[in-house]
Amino acid sequence: MAARGFTVEAVTVRRGGAALLDSITVDIAAEACTAVVGPSGAGKSTLLRVLNRLEEPVTGRVCWQGTPLPDMDAPALRRRIGLVAQQPVLLAERVLDELWVGQPRLSGQAAEELLDRVGLAETFAGRRSAELSGGQAQRVCLARALAVEPDVLLLDEPTTGLDAVNASVVEDVIRGFVSAGGTVVVASHDATLVARVAHQVVLLDGGRLVTVGLPTDIASWGMR
Amino acid sequence: MGDAVTPGVSVPSWAGVALSVLLVALAAGLAYSQRLGLTRPLLVASARAGVQLVAVGVVLLVLFKHAGLWGALGWVVVMVAVGGQVAGRHGRGVPLARVAATVGIAAGTGLTLGALLVLRIVATAPRVVIPVGGMIVLGALQATGLALQRVRDNAQQARPQIEARLCLGLSAREAFVPYQRAALRTALLPAIDSTKVVGLISLPGAMTGLILAGVDPLTAIRYQIVVMYMLLAATALAALITARLAEHALFDHAQRLIPLTGTRTS
Repeated sequence: MAARGFTVEAVTVRRGGAALLDSITVDIAAEACTAVVGPSGAGKSTLLRVLNRLEEPVTGRVCWQGTPLPDMDAPALRRRIGLVAQQPVLLAERVLDELWVGQPRLSGQAAEELLDRVGLAETFAGRRSAELSGGQAQRVCLARALAVEPDVLLLDEPTTGLDAVNASVVEDVIRGFVSAGGTVVVASHDATLVARVAHQVVLLDGGRLVTVGLPTDIASWGMR
Repeated sequence: MGDAVTPGVSVPSWAGVALSVLLVALAAGLAYSQRLGLTRPLLVASARAGVQLVAVGVVLLVLFKHAGLWGALGWVVVMVAVGGQVAGRHGRGVPLARVAATVGIAAGTGLTLGALLVLRIVATAPRVVIPVGGMIVLGALQATGLALQRVRDNAQQARPQIEARLCLGLSAREAFVPYQRAALRTALLPAIDSTKVVGLISLPGAMTGLILAGVDPLTAIRYQIVVMYMLLAATALAALITARLAEHALFDHAQRLIPLTGTRTS
């Protein structure tokens, strides 16, 4: 039996009158990787934002391991449930400073290990953030989220802009995180990534839940 | 209307004031001859300024004669309320921006003016309290307006960065602090710059007024030093409190940056 993770119950999110999520009910297992797939505008990113309370449902509720998210202190919740946005957002002058934003006590050695984990050489620690390519910035953002040591990683299109080699690094990070007892929810258009790392797949369309299945089902959903 | 003049001080007579209108006619004539399209605005502005100043003169005359300290402080409260409304407009889109501005200006003015009065650095006469209060409110108004505008603009432009910081488990205050600091720097720089160049580039109002009133320059600068220092304190306090209140209003109970729908003010 899958460990108790997120319970999403009849969640609706509206913005400007439009329903970004429309009465979504789904269980997301802990200690596993769940992929959220669907066309653009399906509500994938919104679902991730709901899971760490960056977005508040107008109706319904979300629980993490049985506890409703509103019952948890928001910063503490976000330390446990980290989110890496689709567009890399850099916050500091140097890469090492990036890793310190959420974890000021991170040692130099731990920082180098984190960079290595996302496929960046240890020399990147001293690099200026502004000089990073899009793919490098994406992986620094991933390392920055890992530095906080969350229980859950919410990843929004984590392989966008990465070549095959670096996409496989991200896959390794996801697999390693889950095998260490972590939970990953990844929103992605990348069928290869989904097939390789996901244990469960949630298909959304137009803000509605279409179905929940296995990675082997996605070809029949028209996703390549 | 009284025509009391401090002995030894030369001020224009009403006839002199009337003659100075000729200078407005000269400016209007120049504007007309050059086809600047400014003749009418120039005449309207001049007439309006004259009427406003006469009205203010009458009000101040009454206040100086009859209001006493409490009346003068009441007038300062009115200035604070008006200043809060004006500064608050710069934070359009920020919930309770006018309240934040009013509280900031009130705190900056109250603490600064209060300290000056309690420590007897300035006299408690209405003819002192009202102009000094006006200077403080004006300085605080400019600083709070700038602070609100920058806080709002930063919250709009840096939303992805602020949310990225929130996603790392930072509190709303921690996530916003770099943008708050930038807003406060912008708000306080004009006051700091004008303090730096006081007497060098500009002869400030209080000092100029005292010199025109016949006070010797070495005495006038004492007043000006107090004015500059009180303005620094008032602007810093007002901007800080307003920015803090605005920041509080920008985040909801779940420490999320709220959507900002307001339009920019110029």
